[in-house]
Amino acid sequence: MKKIKKGDLPLLWEHLARGALLYLPLNEDGVVNFAPWQKGARVNLDSLNTVVPPKNLVFPQSETYVHFEQKADALDFTPVQEPKGDYILFGVRPCDVAGLTVLDRVFLEDPLDSLYENRRRGTILALACNEPDQSCFCTTFDLEPGFAPAADIMLWDLGEALLWQAQSAKGVALTQNMDVYLSEATAQEEKTAEQLQVTAAAAEAAAVREQEWALDGVKAVAKEMFDAQIWESLSRRCLGCGICTYVCPTCHCFDIEDFSRGEQGERFRCWDSCMFKDFTLMASGENPRPSRKERVRQRFMHKLSYFPARHGGLHGCVGCGRCVRKCPVSIDITQVIKEAGGLINRA
Amino acid sequence: MSVVEEHHLFEPMIVAFCCNWCSYAGADLAGTGRMSYPANVRIVRVPCSSRVSPNFILRAFQRGADAVVVAGCHPGDCHYVSGNYHARRRFSALRRFLEFVGIETERFEIHWISASEGNKFAAIMKDVTDKIRVLGPNRKLRDVR
Amino acid sequence: MKAMLQKIRKEAASVLASGEADLVLGWGKGPLWWQSYPAFIEEEKETGSLTWDPFCVPNLSKYLLEELWVKQKVALFLKGCDALGFNQLLQDKRVDREKVLIFGIPCSGLIDPQKVERAGLHQGLHSVEHQGGELVFSYKDDQKKEDPSSFYYDKCLTCRHPNPVVFDMMLGDAVAVNPQERFAAVGELEKQDVSERYRYWERQFSRCIRCFACRNVCPACSCRECIFDLTDPRWLGKANVLSENQFYHITRAFHMAGRCVDCGECARVCPVDIPLTSLNRKLIKDLNELYGEYDAGVEPEKEPPLITFNPGDPAAFLES
Repeated sequence: MKKIKKGDLPLLWEHLARGALLYLPLNEDGVVNFAPWQKGARVNLDSLNTVVPPKNLVFPQSETYVHFEQKADALDFTPVQEPKGDYILFGVRPCDVAGLTVLDRVFLEDPLDSLYENRRRGTILALACNEPDQSCFCTTFDLEPGFAPAADIMLWDLGEALLWQAQSAKGVALTQNMDVYLSEATAQEEKTAEQLQVTAAAAEAAAVREQEWALDGVKAVAKEMFDAQIWESLSRRCLGCGICTYVCPTCHCFDIEDFSRGEQGERFRCWDSCMFKDFTLMASGENPRPSRKERVRQRFMHKLSYFPARHGGLHGCVGCGRCVRKCPVSIDITQVIKEAGGLINRA
Repeated sequence: MSVVEEHHLFEPMIVAFCCNWCSYAGADLAGTGRMSYPANVRIVRVPCSSRVSPNFILRAFQRGADAVVVAGCHPGDCHYVSGNYHARRRFSALRRFLEFVGIETERFEIHWISASEGNKFAAIMKDVTDKIRVLGPNRKLRDVR
Repeated sequence: MKAMLQKIRKEAASVLASGEADLVLGWGKGPLWWQSYPAFIEEEKETGSLTWDPFCVPNLSKYLLEELWVKQKVALFLKGCDALGFNQLLQDKRVDREKVLIFGIPCSGLIDPQKVERAGLHQGLHSVEHQGGELVFSYKDDQKKEDPSSFYYDKCLTCRHPNPVVFDMMLGDAVAVNPQERFAAVGELEKQDVSERYRYWERQFSRCIRCFACRNVCPACSCRECIFDLTDPRWLGKANVLSENQFYHITRAFHMAGRCVDCGECARVCPVDIPLTSLNRKLIKDLNELYGEYDAGVEPEKEPPLITFNPGDPAAFLES
């Protein structure tokens, strides 16, 4: 394994940014989000989760894919030039890496989404969480706060330095010729990282053990869950805003719209939220999810029941805790898991 | 086209919302009276200056206006008695507010033009166009898609 | 704090038992320290789940819009800022005062979880409580005591109406009113050059994720059909591009002009911390200057400045 001194990171970033677009968690007006790094940027590797997950890099909130223009004889279509060039995503937390894996199941399986595939080529450097937040619950979904198997390179924060391990061909390639910045890690340091990984997972698991049990419950009572009382009570306080879906690393629903001016325009897709009332509104005026109850239920059922049923048991939630933290009225998916999972005893 | 070239070839696009009863008639008088005013002005006829929603103004900027003018009857002359009094408050606040979010005050003007003031209409449109020519094209709020 | 909680539970139980109200809106507590959320209590036996702590920030009055369709009489607890929002709904004729029973809660300020986090006090935190003049942070094995002043929401620091302006019964003694200058941030921005200010707001609006939380939480936003949801005409497109975001934020703020009660909920719920308060306050400040002081939410019978006029009004657009 390798390591890099924290003091050398700006030099490394400068090096990486020369060959590719480099995204890092940057602080803008106190808000930390992934953004292209430039010299002097305010990098923040200490805050656990960015406000918006890095999904917007592979699945942008708005993405134009075709221009159209009315020519004399026909309507002319021009596909939008797909973005070229490699990018590097540095400092992604393991839950967000897992979030990308969830998105892969949606966009990379048949039918393949070429827009997504094209943006998914980046190299991912994941940063282990040493101290998960109270709102973190990735262990509920068999994930580890201290390890991201799907990352190209895994980093552990040892205080003075970051431990560096390449995990994929892309990761190995990036690690080569980096001797200026990287040095060999000692056996002791590797052991420390291992230890950190264990304590982080244990600390988080201790807090969420009850949910893990309940998650099995969710599987067992998927049908009963649909009619559960909890949807009535939760949706009553829901504001119907889209925070939970837009800060979610796995939510992937989108809408398609046109923007036109005179004889020309473009077609784009953009994030949409099942919490909005027009999400399922049909042209006839009919709405199959007419009230907040159906919309709130949909969001949770999709993540905990429909998605795993369709994707071999993989849940549509990675336990990053963003929705838990950001919901203005504290609607909490861990409570849904517990309450719904608790049905198993009543069923 | 470079910014310099664009500035050089720049023809301002002015959107003027004119009330049907006074200002639009004023514009009409400017025409029938053969008073010349810049062809940069695009007139949108509205029933009353108070019909103009702030959205109309924002939309004009989004779609490429370099300046927006709202013109209505003089205070006291409103066909609907008090429409322009309401418009006066609304656009006083809006103009300051747009300036607060970074839109130069020159780009949004409100004027009282009566049906008999064809010359005033022509003079204002010339004045606004001249000012915007100096200020240059507006890119703020514009939807560049 | 404890005394207030007892009063809340007692009054809730009493109105449900007597049938004076068929629904009580209060706050319930989630498992994490900051989770105090709107609770809907219909049975006397459930009133023990009501809570009152420094995180009971959501305004309960907007829920009346839906609940009053089905309920005969709703009792609810309102803090100072909440009461202003309630009055705005009253002014907009969206609630029937006769069907509402209000318990007023004088409030000396609520605690911003983000400030607790920034101070590094959040790890392992169980609960936070006011005790005497101190804020007590409780952990598994120990406690920390801090001066509450550095943890209040920004909106609480500038609060001018901590004592509810509308109520049927007040649940405590009035608290001192000692607001900081609320237009300070607006004043700072006004000093900037117009292009500098444009860049400032450009940066803020670019960050918007278009979740509509600021609209949905607002007690002055109660249109049955919102212009932003219309598909024909499509005033606001769904693309997250700067121009659309600007259209959204300018329109939202201006629609509130003269009606914004300055409760600060929009800024609180914004996930990307856009300083929406500055937009609202700029409008409040200008309208006060131009057409006389008006305090939305304080006197609902008084007409807001933009739906009335005076023939002698200044025409501020003649200034350059």
